[in-house]
Amino acid sequence: MSFDVLFNQFLSGIARGALLFLVASGLSLTFGVLRVLNFAHGSLYMLGAFLSYSIWKWLLIPVYGFYVATLLSALVIAGIGLLIEYTILRRLYARGWPEQLLATYALILIITDIVKWFWGGEFLSIPRPEPFTKAVFLFGFPFPSYNFFIIILGLVLVFFLWWLVYKTRLGDIIRAAAHDRDMVSALGIPIPWLFTSIFVLGAFIAGLSGAVTAPYGAIALGMDIEIIVECFAVVVIGGMGSLPGTLLGSFIVGQVYSFGIMYKPELALAFIFMVMAIVLVIRPWGIFGRPER
Amino acid sequence: MEANNTTDKNISWLKSGWWLILLVAAGIAAPYVISEFYLLILGEALIMSLFALSFNLLFGHMGQLPFGQAAFYGLGGYGIAMLMTKFQINFWLSFLAGIGLAALAGLIIGIFCVRLRGIYFSILTLAFGQLIFVIIYKWHDFTGGDDGIQGVFPPEFLKTPIAYYYFVLLVFCIAAFILWRITNSPFGYILKAMRENSERTEFLGIPIARYQLTAFVISAAFAGLAGALWAPFYRSVAPSTLMWIKSGEPVMATILGGAGLFFGPVLGTFIITFFHAYILGFTHFWAIIMGTLILIVIFFLPGGILGFIKEKIDNRKKTDQ
Repeated sequence: MSFDVLFNQFLSGIARGALLFLVASGLSLTFGVLRVLNFAHGSLYMLGAFLSYSIWKWLLIPVYGFYVATLLSALVIAGIGLLIEYTILRRLYARGWPEQLLATYALILIITDIVKWFWGGEFLSIPRPEPFTKAVFLFGFPFPSYNFFIIILGLVLVFFLWWLVYKTRLGDIIRAAAHDRDMVSALGIPIPWLFTSIFVLGAFIAGLSGAVTAPYGAIALGMDIEIIVECFAVVVIGGMGSLPGTLLGSFIVGQVYSFGIMYKPELALAFIFMVMAIVLVIRPWGIFGRPER
Repeated sequence: MEANNTTDKNISWLKSGWWLILLVAAGIAAPYVISEFYLLILGEALIMSLFALSFNLLFGHMGQLPFGQAAFYGLGGYGIAMLMTKFQINFWLSFLAGIGLAALAGLIIGIFCVRLRGIYFSILTLAFGQLIFVIIYKWHDFTGGDDGIQGVFPPEFLKTPIAYYYFVLLVFCIAAFILWRITNSPFGYILKAMRENSERTEFLGIPIARYQLTAFVISAAFAGLAGALWAPFYRSVAPSTLMWIKSGEPVMATILGGAGLFFGPVLGTFIITFFHAYILGFTHFWAIIMGTLILIVIFFLPGGILGFIKEKIDNRKKTDQ
């Protein structure tokens, strides 16, 4: 196989990995701090996609309407995240994780029906926004330039999260809370406030990533489950709650998916799980994860 | 997992067993009392209860929450359906093969899953379950893809709804009894010991991983049994039987009924199945109602319905003494 084909596939894998990172980073961040695995993270992502479609249609701004719609829908999803954390999750922190898991599962059922109610079951899409409408040719192969937008967005998010977690005071608190929640609380830092803000941030990222997938033409019921299962693979491979782990996991899963599709499309997901199984045999907690009791 | 501790205590009102005989008698009399529609719902509730019991062997008794049980349930159904329709193998052999297929998948997946615990275990079982779903869903030539498989008929003498209902009731009673025996055997007590403190259990010289794997395979086999019962009951299988939403059903039934008691999952399943049939009468937005119901149960009935009843009875006993 020639180099240009491989390079093209590699680039597609990077774009796929960037999208996965967008979704998985919110999931991983929430888990890292709250120790709650939000099953409904994919549902917030789906809701973000549908909302951005409606907002985009309603705004009717020519050319740059997509960016406005994306930002607005991410903000709305952040608001919904606030509501969820404040009314539901907050009451469950003291309880066992199975109940927390079941509660977020209940949210999946509720959000799925809400989406069905408002948007019905058909596929929706938004045209690609300027200046990413055309394909670029790399070694004579067409490559959608919109993929570069996703890659850039992924890099921006990587940088933002790195800055947030390692360079700010909030980041110090986040890392401390991930390590020992009680000690942080004893030092006078209001844990409920921290949890709310992290969950809202996670929801914002979910909404944002949902909105930016809209131009791929795949806004549909079921997109939540499709992405969340791959995100689970990402966090299991990379290690839950670890930023570098999520980044590496996204890269690996994106590449395996991209080359897997080239080899045998039906088995792309199977290849991802094979990689996951190998990682688990060698490092059960993921590449960057730490063992947990 | 406070609720779980209740299994081990002596519960005289549960142990006496007269209510069990009463329930079985009610099950036998049911076809003469209720309409055919409700008889079908009852059959479905029994099959789903078996599925929920298979789940609770791992959750309530071993303390791990598998979120991929639907894969084994679906494999049981696909096993019997494919052998009967594609290879013309007789019902009973296909039935057993369906269970075997689920157990085999449980063994392969279990080897990876029992390495992890807690939430990681849940995620991994979910991921593997979804993998099996995708393989069957995409492998259109072999499995029928999203069309599923139709024409899975039980043998002649089981073809009427009443006959098949009795078959389901019989299998359910036997399977529930076996599961009950398993949870009350030395093996079952080791599972409980691992739930309470896996480190100490390991220090006693018990190979934890091997016990967990055994439990995982047993659980998969019973889930497969439920699926193999379901396919001829419904005359078909569809990929939706393998989906993770299906995996959530035993979870919610168990937490609704009470994970700490052996029959908690059965009660939860009965409530959900009949409630579902009732709601579908006037709206197809049943998921939103179910989701709200789950949240209500989590908030207001932490030990599930049976757990709640038991707590009330225990409190009354305390005040009597």
